[in-house]
Amino acid sequence: MLRNRKTPSHISTSSRSHHKRLITAFLFPVPKELATKVGIAGGAVYVAYDSGLLGGSDEGSVALSKAKAAIPPAVDEWTKYFGFELPAAPKIEFSPVDAWNSGVQKSIHALSVAPNAVCDYTSQGFQYLKDLTK
Amino acid sequence: MSEKELGQKWDRCLADAAIKVGAGLGLGIVFSVVFFKRRTFPIAFGTGTGLGMAYSNCQNDLRSPYLVHSNATKEQ
Repeated sequence: MLRNRKTPSHISTSSRSHHKRLITAFLFPVPKELATKVGIAGGAVYVAYDSGLLGGSDEGSVALSKAKAAIPPAVDEWTKYFGFELPAAPKIEFSPVDAWNSGVQKSIHALSVAPNAVCDYTSQGFQYLKDLTK
Repeated sequence: MSEKELGQKWDRCLADAAIKVGAGLGLGIVFSVVFFKRRTFPIAFGTGTGLGMAYSNCQNDLRSPYLVHSNATKEQ
């Protein structure tokens, strides 16, 4: 009786698959899951390096200005795509820079005129007391 | 160093600090999710590394008064 066998009869199918796994592990020792994770993390690090986020201060400020320029058109595009409109941002007329600068100027001015002002108020106080005692 | 130049250096420092801290935070989140089972220490490590890099860049920039940046040469 002829038996149509492609593999030698003395090797069973379970040991054949075990041999295949051993050869694969020898040729590619890193598991697929670890390779995927390393690929994702390495890709993230490469993207950060390539876009100048990890370089000097010049590159960082250039990247920030690029991001500031790119965000509003991207937001507009996404809102148009999804079909809703974001409410307009409220206009605040308060400028923290101007407020801080005026505060610094007023404080320093007050400190600079404080000795003269103290002398004036003291002399006025003495004069008032003299007038009271007359 | 003129006052205008000092102001520009501080502006650059703050912008760079924002970028570096954000990038460190982002990379920390990626590593936390991918490798460390969503623990918080890689996020803190990444943020701290970004802050340290920004501080080092700022220190280098402020201690080098004779370097002329490319933006300044273009303005001149």
